[in-house]
Amino acid sequence: MALLKSAVPNQNISVNPKRKKSLQKQNIWVLYVFLIPAVVLTLIFAYLPMFSNYIAFLDYDFNKGWFGFGSEFVGFDNFAKFLNDDKFYELMGRTLLYSVTMMVTTFPAPLILALLLNELRGRLFKKFVQTTSYIPHFVSWVTVAGLFYMFLTVDATGIVNNLRQLIDPSAERISFMQDASNFLPVLVISEVWKETGWGTILYLAALSGIDPQQYEAAQVDGANRFQRLLYITLPGLIPTMCILLIFQLSGLFATNFDQVFNMQNKMIRLDTDTIGVYTYYQGLVSGQYSYSAAVGLFQGVISFILIMLTNYTTKRLSNVGII
Amino acid sequence: MKVSASNVLPKNKIKRTKGERAFDFVNVSIMVFWAIVSVYPFWYILVMSFNTGADAATGPIWFFPREFTLENYAYVLQYDRLHSAFIVTVLRCLIGPAISVIVCMLAAFTLSKRFLPGRKTLLFFFMIPMFIGGTIISNYVVMANFGLLNNFLVYILPGAFGFFTMIIMRTHIEQLPDELQESAMMDGAGYVRIFFQMILPLSMPVIAAFAFFAVVGNWLDYYTNLLYVTDRNLSTLQFVLYEIINRAEATQLIDFTSTSSASQRRLMSMQNNTVPTPEVIKMTVMVVVTFPLLFVYPFFQKYFVKGMLTGAVKA
Repeated sequence: MALLKSAVPNQNISVNPKRKKSLQKQNIWVLYVFLIPAVVLTLIFAYLPMFSNYIAFLDYDFNKGWFGFGSEFVGFDNFAKFLNDDKFYELMGRTLLYSVTMMVTTFPAPLILALLLNELRGRLFKKFVQTTSYIPHFVSWVTVAGLFYMFLTVDATGIVNNLRQLIDPSAERISFMQDASNFLPVLVISEVWKETGWGTILYLAALSGIDPQQYEAAQVDGANRFQRLLYITLPGLIPTMCILLIFQLSGLFATNFDQVFNMQNKMIRLDTDTIGVYTYYQGLVSGQYSYSAAVGLFQGVISFILIMLTNYTTKRLSNVGII
Repeated sequence: MKVSASNVLPKNKIKRTKGERAFDFVNVSIMVFWAIVSVYPFWYILVMSFNTGADAATGPIWFFPREFTLENYAYVLQYDRLHSAFIVTVLRCLIGPAISVIVCMLAAFTLSKRFLPGRKTLLFFFMIPMFIGGTIISNYVVMANFGLLNNFLVYILPGAFGFFTMIIMRTHIEQLPDELQESAMMDGAGYVRIFFQMILPLSMPVIAAFAFFAVVGNWLDYYTNLLYVTDRNLSTLQFVLYEIINRAEATQLIDFTSTSSASQRRLMSMQNNTVPTPEVIKMTVMVVVTFPLLFVYPFFQKYFVKGMLTGAVKA
């Protein structure tokens, strides 16, 4: 009898179209249950790391209780230690040099490739180049590093040296990767090689979204190919460029750990350390958790300021922003 | 949707000028060069992996193996660690994406309901970590305190929820007609039933795209392994490759500093052709670790382009 009673109002709701919305609002708690896994994962793996940065202010000891409750509070000692270290300026300078160079050189690459691809006439050929240019994206930095070592070695397997000798048989074989001064070019080239093709996807999508009538109109007005590029294509790409720029700029003060770590070798390691790699070695390899947490936090704060600044600037300039 | 812009430019019926033809020629040349540069390294390691090590050390090889052998593969495939790493990697590539898709889809479904109280707050809650995050160390502290060091779950859980993935899935769900869900509700279906029997099947294209991205990410990831896993039984393929490259790198460095021992080793491997050199071993492992992914990728191309575009539209 109780079952029947509860069934009757339900039927009433489904018959009455005016109460459709309230039907959707029934058992709404189920929806919140659906959110639980995401919320829990975000709390543990995104918010907790954010807050556990406070170990930068401790003398952290894993054996002294959960999350370092019980470790000694030392205030800004770790920061002071880092700031008084000569290594600090060296690391900061190098990290900034690497990341700025990387950005300036690798940001335009996908744009240029996309524009060149766009100018191709043969559809099949275009598809072919596009497809092949994606391939390096599906390779890990470990493999890329392996490839670069292979290609740049003095041995007979070193393609670059082989090529040099093919052109000039008297050329001396050079071991490129033993020299820290080659590190930055290697970073740039490997990044361009690996990610340029993949980076064109968004630009090509944006290009296909530009109204063809604009091109027709421009052509009727006598604009040549270059003028069409300058006055139609590029302006059409600006929103996409801005978004990608913000994403890149937000990483301005953080070099790609994966890349730098793999491209290094024992011979040039100390001369090519960036902050990311340095925190890894200091923290996880040498066990100075609090000290390297301080270094990492320092970098994190600067990065955050940079994101906010760039977001603000691009928003003012072009009305595009991610926040 | 095709990412092709030749439909953007109208067919040029005006005769091409000299400058334009020159440009086209240069452009095509650059593109051919780019295609070669993208593919040739892979061809090269493939060639080297089929060449005897001793022979490879004697002089440059360009396009085809000079002394064909399967010896390198026989040698590499015997390596135990590669077996266990393969199993671990395949497992995480299967389980990780599955869990990730479920978690993100559930959240996406809930957040697609505009009438949901607190929806804006929840979105904000998920969005904040995009801008402020932990450092290597604070992440490590969390993993350590939750017992995730040397635990297979560390490959699965931290990456299971992705804000961007969720947003794109939500956009997709919002595009599905509302009437569909309404009529299902009138027929007495609850949210659980709607989600599993309606939303999931209807979202298959988006799910396929993201499952593929997740598989790629899991296959290529070695960072997690490097940071949180020291147990050799839980090593992933990329990490084993990293170790092999580094170990061979070490011997190379010895070779580099004392040339006499280098030539001695070369001589030895030349005399008994059975021992592959570290160089070819490295390349063979690279082939074994890299090519499975390269092989599946063309089949998924149309999915991931679609997936990227859905994301782009939202962005």
